[in-house]
Amino acid sequence: MDIESIIRKTLLEVAEMADCTLVDNIDEHTVLLQSGLDSLGFAMLVAQLEEDLAIDPFSEMEMAVYPRTFGEFVAVYRQSLSQRD
Amino acid sequence: MNKLVVVTGASRGLGLAIVKQLLKHTVIKYDVLAISRSKSDELLQLEEEYSTSDKRLHILNADLLKLNNIQALCTKMVKDYGRPYALINNAALGFDGVLATMHNSQIDELLSVNVQAPILLSKYLLRPMLLNRKGRIINISSIIAKTGFNGLSVYAASKAALEGFSFSLAREVGKAGVTVNCVAPGYMQTDMTQSLQGEKLESVKRRSPLGRLATPDDAASAVLYLLSEEANAITGTVITVDAGSTA
Repeated sequence: MDIESIIRKTLLEVAEMADCTLVDNIDEHTVLLQSGLDSLGFAMLVAQLEEDLAIDPFSEMEMAVYPRTFGEFVAVYRQSLSQRD
Repeated sequence: MNKLVVVTGASRGLGLAIVKQLLKHTVIKYDVLAISRSKSDELLQLEEEYSTSDKRLHILNADLLKLNNIQALCTKMVKDYGRPYALINNAALGFDGVLATMHNSQIDELLSVNVQAPILLSKYLLRPMLLNRKGRIINISSIIAKTGFNGLSVYAASKAALEGFSFSLAREVGKAGVTVNCVAPGYMQTDMTQSLQGEKLESVKRRSPLGRLATPDDAASAVLYLLSEEANAITGTVITVDAGSTA
C-alpha cells in the first residue's frame, strides 16, 4: 500500500476513535483544519502513523513544519520515508 | 491485564517509594518501567525480588539531561513493553544556592532535567495514551512552587513551570481520557533534602500541623490514588502532601 493510502486509512480510523466527522472527498488541496479532524485528532493520527511506520517526520525535522493541506501532510511522510530507505 | 507505569528518578527517595507501592499494590496489578541514571542498591534488590516471579519490574538506565535521546527512549519503551498506562515524572535535580552565584551551567541542567525532560517524556508517551483513549500523567512538583524558599529560586521556577504545564496539558488531552495532575510534597527526608538539617529541620517539623514531615510513602500514596479508577474525575490539579505545612 502506498503512503497516501496508508494515511487515508489511518485518518478514517482515527477520526472514528476521536469522534470526528470528516468532510467528504478529502483531496490534496483539502485544508487540514477544515477536514473535520480536530487538533487532538491530528495528534492521534501522527501517533498511530508513528506506531505503524516507525517514523515521526515532525520530530525528525530541524525546523518546525506544519503542513496546511492534506497533500502537504502526505508529502512530509513521503519525504521522510524516502530518506529512511 | 497489568497496567504499565513509567516512573522516572526511580532509584531513590520518592521515585523508589512509588515503585515499591506500585509493585505491592494488590487491587490493580502494575508493571513498572523504572528509569534512573544509576541503579541504587535498593532498586537492584527490588529487581531481584520481582525478576523471580512474573518480571513486573524493568529498569532502564537513562540520563534525562540528554534531551535529544528522549524520543528514542520513549520509542524503545513502547516497542519493547507496549503502550504505557501512566507516566510519573519524578526525576529532578535540586541544586540549592543563591541565584547571584549559581553557575549558569547548573541553571541550564536543572531546567533541562526538571522541565524540558518531563515535557518531552509527556509528549512522546502521551501519544500511545491518546491511542488507548486512557492514561495518566503525574508530575511531581513541590510546595516550593508556590511558597518559595531561600536558595531554591531556580528549583522553584522549575516546579512552578511543571504545574503550569500540567494545567494546560490537562485541558488539551482530557477529551481523550488522559488526566494530568501534580503531586506537591512538602519537605521529605530524602537524599535531595539532606542539606536541610538541625534547627532548620526542627523548625519545619514544629510548624507543621501534624508535627512531622511528610514521608516519601505519604506522597507515593497520593500518586497511587491519582493512578486509580477512583481518580477518574481529577485532572489539572495539584495534591499537596506536606503534613499541613502550608495550611
